Amino acid sequence: MKKASALPAGVVFGKPVNLRHLPWLIIVILSVILAELPRTVFPRWVQKYPTGWRLSLADWISAFMHWLTVDAHLGPLTVSGFTRALSFLLDLPLQLASMVLATGVLKGQGSEAVMLFPPVPWFALIIAIAALSWTLRGWRLAVGMTIGFLYLAVFGQWTSAMVTLASVLVAALLSAAGGLALGLLCVRSATFGRLLSPLLDVAQTMPVFAYLLPMLILFGFGPVSAMIATVIYAIPPMVRVTVVAIQGVPDELRSLGSMTGCTRRQMTWRILLPTALPGLMVGVNQVIMLSLNVVIIASMIGAGGLGWDVLGALRRLDIGGGLEAGLAITVLAVMLDRFAQALVPDARRSGPSGSRSHHRVIAGALALAGLLWIAAALWPAIAHYPESARLSTGPFWNDLVSWINIHFHDPLDVIKTFMLLHVLMPVKRFMLALPWPWVVTVVTLAGLWMGGIRLALTVGLMCGFMAVVGLWQPAMITLYLCGVSVVIAMLLGVPVGVIATQRPWLMKSVEVFIDTLQTLPAFVYLIPIVMLFRVGDFTAMIGIVLYAIAPAIRYTAHGISHVPESLIEAGTMTGCTRGQILRRIRLPHALPDMLLGLNQTILLALSMLVITALVGTRDLGQVTYAALSKADVGQGVVAGLCVAFIGMISDRFIRQAIRQPGS
Amino acid sequence: MIRNLLCISLLGGLCLMGRSAIAAPESHDPIKITLNDWTGELITAHIMGDILKKAGYNIDYVPADYLAQFSGMENGDLTVAPEVWATTAQEALQAAVKTGKVEDLGSSGMQAREEWWFPEYMKEKCPGLPNWEALKKCGEVFSTPETDPKGRYLGGPSTWGGHDEERIEALDLPFEVVHAGTDAALFAELKSAYERKAPIILWIYTPHWVPIKYKGEFVEFPRYEPGCYEDPGWGINKDAKYDCGKPYGPIWKAVWSGMKDKWPGAYAIIKNYKFDNKTMGELDARVDLNGEKVEDVAQDWVNKHEDVWKAWLSK
Amino acid sequence: MQHPVLACRKVSRLYGARASEFVTDGHLTTDNVQTLQEAGITPAIFNVDLDIERGKTFVIMGLSGSGKSTLLRCLAGLTPPSAGKILFESKNLFEFSEADLIQIHRHQMGMVFQHFALLPHLTVLGNVAFPLEIQGRPRAEREEIAQRMIRLVGLEGREHRFPAQLSGGQQQRVGIARSLAGDPDVWFLDEPFSALDPLIRREMQAEVIRLQGMLKKTIVFITHDFEEAVRVADRIAIMKDGQVEQVGTAEELLVSPATDYVRAFTRDAPRAHILTARSIMTTSPSAGPFGGEVNATDRVISFARELDASSLPLAVIENNEIIGAIDRTMLLDILIGPETQAVGA
Repeated sequence: MKKASALPAGVVFGKPVNLRHLPWLIIVILSVILAELPRTVFPRWVQKYPTGWRLSLADWISAFMHWLTVDAHLGPLTVSGFTRALSFLLDLPLQLASMVLATGVLKGQGSEAVMLFPPVPWFALIIAIAALSWTLRGWRLAVGMTIGFLYLAVFGQWTSAMVTLASVLVAALLSAAGGLALGLLCVRSATFGRLLSPLLDVAQTMPVFAYLLPMLILFGFGPVSAMIATVIYAIPPMVRVTVVAIQGVPDELRSLGSMTGCTRRQMTWRILLPTALPGLMVGVNQVIMLSLNVVIIASMIGAGGLGWDVLGALRRLDIGGGLEAGLAITVLAVMLDRFAQALVPDARRSGPSGSRSHHRVIAGALALAGLLWIAAALWPAIAHYPESARLSTGPFWNDLVSWINIHFHDPLDVIKTFMLLHVLMPVKRFMLALPWPWVVTVVTLAGLWMGGIRLALTVGLMCGFMAVVGLWQPAMITLYLCGVSVVIAMLLGVPVGVIATQRPWLMKSVEVFIDTLQTLPAFVYLIPIVMLFRVGDFTAMIGIVLYAIAPAIRYTAHGISHVPESLIEAGTMTGCTRGQILRRIRLPHALPDMLLGLNQTILLALSMLVITALVGTRDLGQVTYAALSKADVGQGVVAGLCVAFIGMISDRFIRQAIRQPGS
Repeated sequence: MIRNLLCISLLGGLCLMGRSAIAAPESHDPIKITLNDWTGELITAHIMGDILKKAGYNIDYVPADYLAQFSGMENGDLTVAPEVWATTAQEALQAAVKTGKVEDLGSSGMQAREEWWFPEYMKEKCPGLPNWEALKKCGEVFSTPETDPKGRYLGGPSTWGGHDEERIEALDLPFEVVHAGTDAALFAELKSAYERKAPIILWIYTPHWVPIKYKGEFVEFPRYEPGCYEDPGWGINKDAKYDCGKPYGPIWKAVWSGMKDKWPGAYAIIKNYKFDNKTMGELDARVDLNGEKVEDVAQDWVNKHEDVWKAWLSK
Repeated sequence: MQHPVLACRKVSRLYGARASEFVTDGHLTTDNVQTLQEAGITPAIFNVDLDIERGKTFVIMGLSGSGKSTLLRCLAGLTPPSAGKILFESKNLFEFSEADLIQIHRHQMGMVFQHFALLPHLTVLGNVAFPLEIQGRPRAEREEIAQRMIRLVGLEGREHRFPAQLSGGQQQRVGIARSLAGDPDVWFLDEPFSALDPLIRREMQAEVIRLQGMLKKTIVFITHDFEEAVRVADRIAIMKDGQVEQVGTAEELLVSPATDYVRAFTRDAPRAHILTARSIMTTSPSAGPFGGEVNATDRVISFARELDASSLPLAVIENNEIIGAIDRTMLLDILIGPETQAVGA
């Protein structure tokens, strides 16, 4: 760095330009030239990665999976026998949860099953949860939870919601506990942490479709596979948060543990975990949100529930119905999260004084709920929310979309056409025209420049992988689609984040909006978007922007509002205007946070690919989805890895940029 | 007291006997029928389920993705896939059958038809439809900014295959294919265009509620023959394959191959199951257009057509 | 002589990639700090020898980075030294098995931390009872002991508050109560009051002196504040760059500083509070007359007014014998420093 900045500043177009940026300028100009040159200038192997050089990794993976599931043995047991046994074990808590919430205690299976005891009726569950919420956090939470459950009952989502709740509950518990355990292991052994980290990266960015098939083969078709897929998707942030939270426990508290003679176990359970709890709850929040994110995909492999309702409704083009079921997922997510957060004791609240009356209330409420449950068993007629009292806003939404479609299609079409002709299509053409060896070289050089030989090797190999497995073109389309979407998400999200921090009421509504967008299944809003903008990249782009804008807003707002007060005062004292404070103090200070936001935005954009594949893109998401439909395990995994690698390359670069501010 | 107990157990026994009067189920394990995400399949699944129940079998419905269900059947986790369309899942079915763990139980008697389809109002804008040759002059009528000056043809998800790119080439049509990712997206576009009477031409299949709800017609291409897809010399374009319409395809029933031994009776029933497009279209419309419940529509059909399905049991 | 409770024998703690190259069989292979530094090794503590006597308050002081905290961690059995031995009751502390070390920590050592180290999720009572809970004592017993400790530090009535609801001084009282709950033999205080306001700090120092008067623990007290050290210490070790510059009573450090560093360190100390009559008297006793008598061990502050008021020198008495005399000019020396030193400074 030092050497570079010691170069004299040059002058380009009459403006002084730091020569440090010169290599980048040259690279950009060269790229444009290379992209504009007629393709025939290059040798054939540069134009397109030759099929003959292709690594048939996909076939090897398929063969390996076949071997693993059919021939491989663990001692006397086949691997699939082993996984099936595991699957049986994992099914037990799942069955218990669905017994209580959804199906009731059954004797026998299938249509011959006889219900011995019904699931908790809606009113009993509401009473029990409301009473619990009241003791934990007071009446606000109780009212919130009641409203949430009432929504499910009144809008006729109860049964499906309970199926989903049962499976999400178990999956979230498993992810949280498993993430915690893995996180603790990472803290204990740095080597283990280093080995696990890339796996977590892959698990987080690889589309679920990519490992759905192996999952089905190993764990069987049904809720257990869905649950395992959910856990794989939701566990990485929990592991990461655990590591950060545990490492954030002050050294003094560890010393306290040693000085009071804690054993290892006591140190973990009495000192580390309780102190790290508030941090750990951030991970739990992530786990819950992510678990509900995969509800749709989980429902495709036997989890049923709300996800299935959403799919079914949209297949019938019942947009309102899809929206209502989708909102039920959002409601579940919010309720689960708030309730989980409430389970953490609040250290600021006074001790157990007055808890006796609380205990009495809760005992009373639980007893009442129990009695009502029994009553529902005796008189099954009362157990269900009366159908005649159900509400539906479905027709309203259907009409609304039609109305917008009929009256506003043309102006919307103008915007779309403009974007397509002037942004999307040129970028796409440019990306596809770049010769692959050039891109690999530039990525490697950038790695070398920013982080040294290790980074260069990592990103170069990952980039080369996409060419070598023969997925260069879909990878470039992915890059273009996600790239444009991320830029737009940042262009919209950063100003919104900046403005929102200045006005607290705005922040509140923005937060509700992005929380909804993140938990509402994307499919729910993608179909109306298809109606307005037709199938194609523009629609996919809107979907990605909507989903991925949340971290752009959130991290910006966080960074801007967490500038130390003393800096602002220093600015005021030197006579900065409000605008100057924003530009000169707040924004530069918030830059690392904004970069983290960018990182998250990219990862979310990539994870959205699976969904946009459903509205007809031609990127890696489509390749994974197509591989699923052809039962091609290897191709799915390879394409999934490519998506993961794109995410990891950008992640490595951004982290490096955060580490060296000003570079 | 004891007499009461005896009575109850006797009654219970009678009940059981009553249930198994038609046929003794070979196993009380539930037969798992997959529920896919379109109405026709749901109706078929429930009709099959209801009949099997009447025959004394234990039934479980499992929501499953259309394509993911095959690996479920290979493992024996799922038993019956009631509708496997030749037009959309031929490859997946063949791959599954090749493993030896899935069995193709033959046609359900319904014919899947899929073809280019246009709303009726397009006849004015592109005179000569439904004859395919009219399309040769209509590229611009159907064009959009992305495809201009060519027309935009909305194809099914690329996983459905369909050889539309080749067809356009072979028949020299001024069109470009845009693939929808799912049929939900496909029909969303149709709905949108239909509401605005905007130009659209897309891939539609039957039996389905769409051609019942929206007025329109299939394009009449040169009629499909196997030779068309195999022999370039066939048809109008002597140098290209696919110079014809899409094939009509049966809708198959597929089952887990272990079913034959575990529930031979049920296996026979599924094998004998036959239906036709017209009836299915009517049932479909009752659900999708009149808002009746799938379960009720299926039950109603089973109740009213005992003579039909009784025949499947006795064979 | 009774053996010291804790002792350091040539204790060093090195940081750096090549640190292990300079240690064989638990001994440093070089006595030269520079050799280490040239190899890129930072000796946080270097060849420290100390004896900590039973029932006395031993203060380790130095500026930040002097190695005093590292030394404390070694003495408390938290960090093993790179070389040398820590003797606890004459046995090498780091040769105990893990289980034995846990027992020693549970029953024989207690520590008060700079930033209190209170567990945020436990109440005052829970925090104080925590060491006993770790020992697995029954609830009733540990709560009774904890109550006693809470009374001892004057926090009764606040048992059910959470740490976040207490002031800094109150929090450190909880820390003190907790460190005493296990009835330790050795009581470590790691800069216990440096995070507190000056007024509270004095109050807490008085508190420690009061407790020590009652409990007679062996105390190892870390501070960077010489005044604080003077108030609580029996003996003081001054550290600089990982090495002990001098060990002695406050008076010894003041009267005969071993190095310039010690001299500079003690220059602004409240001399009248530290020096005794013995150390300022003239040993060539005149026959009198005397304006009064003082004991050789009396602090100057205790007879300063008397001396100031008297026109005659005071006799210094030890074992009923006059061993020296003090006159008013010597008082000035104490207040503004001896003439030579004042000029030199």
